[in-house]
Amino acid sequence: MNLARSLRASLPGVSTREWDQSDHDGLWLGGTPEVLISPVSAQEASQILTWAGQEGLGVLPLGSGRHLGPVGRGRFVALETSLLSGVDEYEPADLTITSGAGTSFSTVDSTLRDNGQWAPFDSPGVTERSIGGFVSEASHSPLWAGYGSLRNHVLGATLVAGDGRVLRLGGKVVKNVAGYDLLRPVVGGQGRLGILTSVCLRAFPLPAHERVLVLKRARVMDLIEPALLAGTAPVLPVSIVLVGQLAALSGSSALVLRLHGAESTVDADQSALEKHLGMSLDPLAANEVDSCLVEVRDRGGLEPRCVEVSVLPSCLSKVVAAAEEVGAAKAVIDSYAGRLRMGSTDMSVDAVADLRGAAENLGGALRVVRWDSASRPQDTLCRNAEVQLAQRLESIFDPGGVLWPARQ
Amino acid sequence: MTQTLASSVADRLRAIVGHDQVITHPDRLVAYESDGLTAYRVVPRAVVLPETTEQVSQVLRIMHDEGIAVVPRGAGTGLSGGALPTPDGVIVGTARMSRILSIDEQNRLARVQPGVVNARLTEATAPYGLYYAPDPASQSTCTLGGNVAENSGGPHCLKYGVTSRYVTGLTVVMADGEVVRLGGAGLEAAHGLDLVGLFVGSEGCFGIATEIEVRLLPKVESIRTLLGIFHTMEAAGHAVTDIIGSGLMPAAVEIVDNATIVAVEASVFSAGYPIDAGAALVVEFDGTEAGLDDDADRAEQCCLSAGATKVIRATSDEERIALWKGRKKAFGAMGRIAPDLLVQDATVPRTRLPEVLARITEIGHEYDLKIANVFHAGDGNLHPNILFDRQNKEELERVEKASREIMTLCVSVGGTITGEHGVGVDKRAYMPLVYNDVEMEMLRSVRRVFDPDGRLNPGKVVQ
Repeated sequence: MNLARSLRASLPGVSTREWDQSDHDGLWLGGTPEVLISPVSAQEASQILTWAGQEGLGVLPLGSGRHLGPVGRGRFVALETSLLSGVDEYEPADLTITSGAGTSFSTVDSTLRDNGQWAPFDSPGVTERSIGGFVSEASHSPLWAGYGSLRNHVLGATLVAGDGRVLRLGGKVVKNVAGYDLLRPVVGGQGRLGILTSVCLRAFPLPAHERVLVLKRARVMDLIEPALLAGTAPVLPVSIVLVGQLAALSGSSALVLRLHGAESTVDADQSALEKHLGMSLDPLAANEVDSCLVEVRDRGGLEPRCVEVSVLPSCLSKVVAAAEEVGAAKAVIDSYAGRLRMGSTDMSVDAVADLRGAAENLGGALRVVRWDSASRPQDTLCRNAEVQLAQRLESIFDPGGVLWPARQ
Repeated sequence: MTQTLASSVADRLRAIVGHDQVITHPDRLVAYESDGLTAYRVVPRAVVLPETTEQVSQVLRIMHDEGIAVVPRGAGTGLSGGALPTPDGVIVGTARMSRILSIDEQNRLARVQPGVVNARLTEATAPYGLYYAPDPASQSTCTLGGNVAENSGGPHCLKYGVTSRYVTGLTVVMADGEVVRLGGAGLEAAHGLDLVGLFVGSEGCFGIATEIEVRLLPKVESIRTLLGIFHTMEAAGHAVTDIIGSGLMPAAVEIVDNATIVAVEASVFSAGYPIDAGAALVVEFDGTEAGLDDDADRAEQCCLSAGATKVIRATSDEERIALWKGRKKAFGAMGRIAPDLLVQDATVPRTRLPEVLARITEIGHEYDLKIANVFHAGDGNLHPNILFDRQNKEELERVEKASREIMTLCVSVGGTITGEHGVGVDKRAYMPLVYNDVEMEMLRSVRRVFDPDGRLNPGKVVQ
């Protein structure tokens, strides 16, 4: 009996399809799932994971399928969340929104915007991502400076653990310390602890006014000092990023600062920043803002090969110098967070290994976000004790190792 | 019945931390019999006060080898019995671990020992134009180690978030004495799970944090504080909904009810709130001076539209302190009304506040108990305070029944049993209101990942 037939015999009514690589252009798995399964509920996802465990199969969770690296060996099926979509609950006055994991971020965000609210996250390609994948990946978002990270704003979730247990984690209130915070390792856990089937996010009021200020220079390196200085200003922009050769700015490298608030507040914040930096900043015209911000947001993050580096902000210039050795790549730097993302079509494993070495020597770390080849550079691993704790945690959530493909 | 600690074990502990830092005399142990939740009292076998990570490690290794339970304790200001001793356990207190190890102005980070008092960190970082954002009501006495254990909040976490948002790295001593470093600023890109986030709020059940790395924020330029007086709690609740719904982002939104106002005004903490008011609403904005008056004007208009009889705006620091006084001194003032106070803690969706508050009042009447409400209205975090006399056993029973009804009510509207005080022993019985059997077992399993033998803070959170 082939796998799809076995699945249909065990779980009649479950939606399955043959895997078709052409539906997943750009997703490089390093293997082929035997079948693509689309559960319609957490309970069905639970049954599928239980069945997979009994069959000795791995399960690869797929959101929008944009950020998975290669998976390991053996037989596996793919579980996509596209049928777990839609906004389940939204109460604007509570500033919370609950949606199925397969709902696109843009659906959630546009629902919020219709009510004068938004979800302040600007990681690469965010609008096209599923909420479940977005939360599982927890990619860095420069708006972190002004709004905090995604980890602080995922209020609740339903997770189907590797052995099929359905767990409601957190809730839908902004303050909740009832029991250990099992949500925290799930956010950014890359599907290693389970498959998200719904997520409750905190929403924010849309800022009354946004101003994007730029400082142009020929080279990114020339902008690091003012960027770090901006991070020590009495006024904190909601994001501080550096980018090289922005098409939206006629090829200039730029420091891009975003200010949010009432117009009078933004005026005052701009003055305070300029005084602190000892130089004037150019506001972008309204018709330039969207294209510039989208280019900055996606910079390097959608390339076939993409890595992220973190260091203390005070070490940025050294790590940027090391990154320049990697070769031509599109990079964006969040100077307030000490994060650098770079992507290209042809970064080499050796060059990335050198960059990782440089970051680690500075007390930092490197993570491979995307890589389109089997010979993939290594991530910076956590310390041994942390790895052991994480492995023990994984074995609690997924005792049979069903979610193995995501662990590679 | 509290067990005596074998003198041989006490001597080994004294050899590590010093003779005076191991307390075994019954008279002195009484000071550690409870934390801020005084309804529960258990005298510990001993109290050990180490000064360094290495000492904590050695102490925990002995406890592990001897099979003795350990109850970690910060300043003992917790309100859920999280630091309640066990009769067979030893308290490991962090009072002597009170050094600020470093302040990194450029990267806006501080590294501290767990016994550093919350407010002291903000004082120490002020010369650099920085501060530490989480501000629990007990910030002048509570410690950062306790804040990490409880994932503490405070009035200003509406805008700035709770402790977990600010902790970037930890050095932790595990139950068997192993020293483990979790996370750290600069290491965010490392491949792994967010164990720092998991550890924060684990109520001393996963390990003892002996070094804490926290993120600091730039000091705000200016503040505007308003006090709105309302005839009814419902009207104050509507004002809160309007303020948040209008897109404003206050730093704090706090409400006190009539029972609290009456208690405060009759006490030495009198703040000048009208005693016939149904509720008083404190709203605070902070940020760049230029935009604050606009924000305050809009909030004032929301209050007036919702039916405020009066809105007062502070024009100086002294006036600001005076406006806050009725809120900040509420707990102290209640000591005048009854000998004991159960400070409850639950969170509900903000829009459900009016109905929940009305029902809490009914519950008070049904159980013939006085309940005064003080709460973080902006994030729906309620603190119904039940006044009672613990010598009156019959009244204590009614307190427990009323508490359970309040918790059940909060969960039934989509809320939870604790927003910032933690589960400790006080809320343990309510955990099944929130979690089913499978989820409870998962919590126990995760605890065993860190402490397989269950010797760290046994009996807290889950059993």
